[in-house]
Formats: sequence, C-alpha cells, structure tokens
Amino acid sequence: MIIKRIINYLYGYLRIVVEGYYIERFINICRNKKYNMWNIKKDNDIKITLNIEIKNFREICRIAKKTHCKVGIKAKKGFPFLLNKYRKRKIFVLFLLIIVITIFLSSNFVWNIEIIEEDGLKIDNIMEDINKAGLKIGTLKANVDTKEIINKVRLDRDDIAWMGIELKGTNAIVKLVKAEKKPEIVDEDEYCNIVSNKNGVITKMNVQDGTANVKVGDTVSEGDVLINGWMEGKYTGIRYVHAKGEIEARVWYTKHKTIEYNTTEKHNTGNMETNYGIKINNFKINFPKGVSKFKFYDTIENEIKVRIFSNFYLPISIIKTTNEEYEEVQKTYSADEAKNLGIQEIETELENEIENKEKIVNKNINTYENENSIDIYVTYEVLESIGTNEKIVF
Amino acid sequence: MKKNRMRKINKILEIPQEVYSDVPKISIIGFDEMIIENYKGILEYEAFFVRISTYKGVININGYNLNLETMTNDDIRVTGKIESFDFERITD
Repeated sequence: MIIKRIINYLYGYLRIVVEGYYIERFINICRNKKYNMWNIKKDNDIKITLNIEIKNFREICRIAKKTHCKVGIKAKKGFPFLLNKYRKRKIFVLFLLIIVITIFLSSNFVWNIEIIEEDGLKIDNIMEDINKAGLKIGTLKANVDTKEIINKVRLDRDDIAWMGIELKGTNAIVKLVKAEKKPEIVDEDEYCNIVSNKNGVITKMNVQDGTANVKVGDTVSEGDVLINGWMEGKYTGIRYVHAKGEIEARVWYTKHKTIEYNTTEKHNTGNMETNYGIKINNFKINFPKGVSKFKFYDTIENEIKVRIFSNFYLPISIIKTTNEEYEEVQKTYSADEAKNLGIQEIETELENEIENKEKIVNKNINTYENENSIDIYVTYEVLESIGTNEKIVF
Repeated sequence: MKKNRMRKINKILEIPQEVYSDVPKISIIGFDEMIIENYKGILEYEAFFVRISTYKGVININGYNLNLETMTNDDIRVTGKIESFDFERITD
C-alpha cells in the first residue's frame, strides 16, 4: 500500500468536493469508466469529498455536469504541484541542485584522517608517514588502497605492532598499536654478561654466577662489564655461564639552573577575543574584527572540521582564533628568594625522574651568586641496582 | 453445458470461487473494516448507511462515519464503525 501511495504522490492527485443529489450515480459512472477513486467520505446528505488522479479530472467534471453535481477542488497534492510552485524560483532550485551535486561528489574523497592510538601512546610523525604512503586529505576514496598503505607504513617504521585503516564516509580512521620496545630478554640457557647501565660507585655486590669484574668502591660508567659470564676452574678451564647477581651502586643525579633576579613574568588578565574564519582545503578566509586591541596577547588557533553526519566530513573547517591578553609583570627577587625558588623547581624535576624515592641517600645543594643571577646545582645521591643482561657474542 | 464443465474443471483445480464466478466475497476485519470483492455498484451512500449491489443481491451496511476507501474495479473497502449488515437476496 505504501508503494501505491508513493506512486500517487509522484503523479499527483486532487481532493475534490462533489455536491449534488445524484452522488451515487456519479460514483457508479466513474467506477464504470474505471477511474481510480479513494478515500470517499460523506460530509453531509449531498456532499462528498474524494481523491482522484489528475488526468481524470476533466472527464470527472463532465460526468458531474451530466449528473447535475457541482465539483470543487479542495486540495492539490503531489509532486507535480510542488514542481509548479518552485517553477518561478529557478535560482533556488539551481543552488539546491548544486549543493546536492557537490555533496554527492565530495563524498567520494577523504576529508579527514583520524588517528586512534591504542592506550593513548603517542607515535611521532605518523601523520607524515601516512601521507607519504598515499593517504592524504583530498584523495579519492577509490584510490586508497588500504593494504598497500599499511604495508608501506609498516615497512618504514618499526614501532608499529598493528595498523588498520577504515574508510567511513569521508573519514579515514587509522588505528594503531604501538610496539613496545622491550628490553632484550636473554634466555636462561644462554650465556651473558651483566653490564652497567648507569654511572656510579658500587656499594654492594652479590654475585651468584659468573666472575666479578669490579670491586666494591669502584667507579663504573655506562657500558662497563660488571659480571663476566664465564668461570675459570683449575681443572675445567674456562666455562661460560649465564651471569647472575645483584649490584647496588651510588648514582648521582645532578641538575643545574640559573635564576636571574630581575625577570618579567606573564600574567593572564582573563580578557579574550575570538575571531572566526573559514578554511576550504588550503584557502583561508578570515573574518577579523580589525586589529587586536590588546598590547600583548597569545593567539590560540582551533580548527573545527565541518561534518554532516558523524563520519561525513566536508572539506571545510571553521577556524576559531582566540587572543588571550597577558600583562608583563616585572619581578625582582632577593638572593634568598631566587635560591629557594630555584631549589624547589629543581627538586620537583628530579623527584619526577627518580622512581624510588626511599632510596635517596643524600642531597647536595651548591649555589654560586653572580652579579644579577644565581646558579644552583642540586645533586641527589641514590642507591640503585644497576646492571642489565647482555648476550655474549662469540 | 459449457458452464457446467468449466465449474467441474475449476473444482478439480481448487480455484477460489470468487475468481472464476461473479460470487461476491465479503471479508470483515475487526468491526471497522469490510472488503467486498466482485461488486456491481453503489446504490446508496450515506455516512450511516451504504447499499452495495452485487451479482447475488444487495448488501446493506449500517454504522457511523462510513468511508469508501480504495474503490477499484472489482473490490471496495468500507471503513468506519460498522454496526450491522444484511443481505437482500435476488430470487430467480
């Protein structure tokens, strides 16, 4: 039935009122001539409303005249009447057509590349590599060979464990899983040395397998062999083993900072200006409000891509530029203030770096005052176990 | 003679009666809709009373707000609140 309705709508139909005393005769004659009629409704004794097709209207008028009935049109419905309504508004129809065609054409291109990384691990320069492999903004969707792009990118880089490209609408979703750089695990059966991975002074040694290469109190630097993966016996000669052992060392972390007494500081006033612009591919149109009235300001640019549905991006983006005003505040520190500030800053930085805070043994702060600045050196002494396995290559 | 033979063939093939003859088929859906196939014409039509002539007789439908929806060449749909209906047989 819905198909019938759609066909009726496409061809157009009329809702007419027939008034007269011989309505039954009128209906019967129409029926005999096989005219399509539907939704016949009696309004009162001598009046009915019904729907008819457009092409039969003239004939029906003639029948009505024969049966002494009056015919009036109540409503004109359907596509032909709609077309007639817009006949005089040619430009409107033209633009509607243009918009429909442009949307239809633009849906064949990729207008947005969305990169989703697993667990939010950032992968550097991945966008450039994807672009180089052939997936660019503005390429035809038919030309995007996802398999080839994945192969190309994966050949170029070794930090991607898995990659998938999904084309949804005009949106290309690139999913990536970063490959973790694992420390080289040496098998229990294989021979290895233990090598220092930090600079420090050895405080404690506990060798289980292998021959110690250093003594307590020795200074080692990165890359030095701590425990050799071989053992020498009187009768057996040199025998290679999987070196095992724990070595603790004093490691120093030093940071340096220069703080000047006279500094200018940025201070946000909270005043903001926003400008909007439109960007079509690489062509930019700004709608500025004249020159900014602020003396000092930071500009923050935000690009919002226009999309119709969730995945149907258009090659148009709205650019929102925000100017945030700031004041420059002159500040003068006394020598003590500068010192405290510098120490505090360095300490927080260092404490972020050191994983095990309980193992901090010693703190050492040195300051050197100059004419208009102060140099601060902070050294942390930490007890840490050093040493990683390194395979013996014969 | 010929009509009789046709009837026999149709009976064997189990073709529905309303297809090969002029017998009207009346189907009522709920109390609000009535479809009459093989009808001849409308004799009277009011909002409360519809008289439809068929080859076997006349069907009278009483009710409220009766509409004639979808009138085609061989079937008619009457919608509205149907109260009662009766037949007037043609006796030959």
